[in-house]
Amino acid sequence: MTARPITTVKTIVTGIEEAGAGTKLFTLADPDQWELPPFKPGAHIDLHLPNGLVRTYSLCNEPADNARYVIAVKREAEGRGGSRALHDDVRVGEVIGVSLPRGGLEAGADIARCVFVAGGIGVTPFLSMALHLARTKQADFKLHLIVREEVPLAAQLGPLIKEGRVVVHRTSRTGRPDLAALVGEGGSATMVACCGPEGMIDDFERVTAAWPAANVHIERFIAAAPVLDPDAQPFTLSLSRTGTEIQVRAGQTMLAALQEGGIDIATSCCGGICGACKVGWLEGKPVHRDRILSPYERERYLMACVAGSDADRLVLDL
Amino acid sequence: MLDTTIGAGSAQGATQLGWTGVVRFLHFTPRAFLPMRAAEAIALVAGRGIEGDRYMIGNEEGFYSHKPEEGRQVTLFELETLVALKRDAGIELGPEEHRRNVTVEGVPLNHLVGRRFWLGETLLEATRLSVPCRHIEEITGKAIFDPLINRSGLNCRILQGGIVRVGDTVRNAA
Ligand code: FES
Repeated sequence: MTARPITTVKTIVTGIEEAGAGTKLFTLADPDQWELPPFKPGAHIDLHLPNGLVRTYSLCNEPADNARYVIAVKREAEGRGGSRALHDDVRVGEVIGVSLPRGGLEAGADIARCVFVAGGIGVTPFLSMALHLARTKQADFKLHLIVREEVPLAAQLGPLIKEGRVVVHRTSRTGRPDLAALVGEGGSATMVACCGPEGMIDDFERVTAAWPAANVHIERFIAAAPVLDPDAQPFTLSLSRTGTEIQVRAGQTMLAALQEGGIDIATSCCGGICGACKVGWLEGKPVHRDRILSPYERERYLMACVAGSDADRLVLDL
Repeated sequence: MLDTTIGAGSAQGATQLGWTGVVRFLHFTPRAFLPMRAAEAIALVAGRGIEGDRYMIGNEEGFYSHKPEEGRQVTLFELETLVALKRDAGIELGPEEHRRNVTVEGVPLNHLVGRRFWLGETLLEATRLSVPCRHIEEITGKAIFDPLINRSGLNCRILQGGIVRVGDTVRNAA
C-alpha cells in the first residue's frame, strides 16, 4: 500500500474570473459538487498548490454558499510565489488540496453594529462577512474600503456600494481617511475589524486601544503563527534501521514529522488511545502522553501521535 | 431532534431473545473531510462497502487513514451515546457529525465484536470497536474525543449486501 493518508480536502478549480486591480477570483469545489466543510464568515484556508507551495487565503463567499470556496488573489510580482503560481499556472480543472477552514469572525448575539476597515485586497475576509450580515440581518454593518484608486472585486462589491453599506475611500483623491472618525465610539455592542497593510493595522490598533479587546479583530496578511505550547522544544528523531535523521519542529507531532519524512506509520485515533501508531524506541527520553501503555511497555514503546521527547535526540526502532 | 426520536416506537418488547434495535439515521460521504449527507436508504455491497461512501473498498480517494481496512466497510453508532453526550457533557452532536454511517437505537454495539447480526436485509460481522479520533474534533470543532472513549461505534464487514432503510430492524444473527 503506497497511498498516503489524506490530509487535505480535494477540490478542483471550477472558475477563474478577472476581478480588477490585478486580482483574480478562483472558485474551488468538490469534483462531484458535494458540500464542502463549513466555514465562518471571514475564515481562511491553506491551498496546497501544485508546485508544492502552501498559501493561506481568506474565503470571500458567503458561508451559506456551501458548495464552493471562493478566494480572491492579487498577483504580487515581487511576492513569495504563491500568487504568481495561481495567476500564471493554475487553470480550470486543476486539482488543489485545501486545509479545513480556520478562523473567521462571528458577531455575537449582543453585537448590534459592525465596522470593518479594509485596505485594498484586505477586503476579502470582509466580503464574506458583509454578504453574511446582509443576508442574516444579524447586525448593522459598514465596510470602509481604502484604496489608492481602483476598487478590487468591484463587481462583487457593487451592490453593497450602491446600498451605502460599503464606502470607498480613494487616497489618490481624498488622502487617507481618519480611522478614528471611521470607527466612531467604542461600546460593548459594536464590533470592529481591520485587514490591510501593516501601517494601517498599526493605526487601527492605536485608535481602538481602549476598546474592549473581544470586540476588536485584526486580520494580518501573513497567517498568524499557530498557537504553540510555550514549553515545546524541537528534537531529532534518529531511525536506527536506516540511519535517517528527522527533525521534529517545536509544536509538531512526532507522527507528523515521520509522515512528512516519508515514513509509513499507521494511525487511527491520533490521540494516544488506539495503539495504531505504536513504535519501539531504543535511546533517549520519551514524554509519553498516551493513555494505554503500561509502565513496563513504556520502557520499550511509545505512541508517535502524542509522544514527545525530553532530550534533543530520540532513537526509534524504525 | 434527539428528544423526539428517542423512544419513538423503539424496539422494546422483543427483548426475550437478547435484543432488537432499529435504524434511526443513515449517512455517507464520498471523500474524507466532506460533510456527511443523510439518506433514507443506503446500498451495502458485500465485501466492499456502501455505494458512494469513502470506505468503499476500491475507492482509493476516501481514506483518512492510509490503510483501507477490510473490516471497516460500514460503521455503526448508538443514538443513546448522542443523548448521553448531551446529558453528561453538554455537547450537542448531530447524527451526521459522528461520521459513522448508521445510527441505531437499542443495539449493544460494544458487545457485538466478533459476532454477526442483521441490519435490515443485510448481514454484518462486527470486526472491532471504533476509536474516537482527533480528526473528528477538528472537523466538528467540538471536544468529543474524551467523552467518546469506549463508545465511539462499531466497524463492520458486509457479509450479505442489500438496501438498508431508516426504520429497519437490527437483530442478532447468532
Ligand atoms: S494513532 Fe492512536 S495511539 Fe496514535
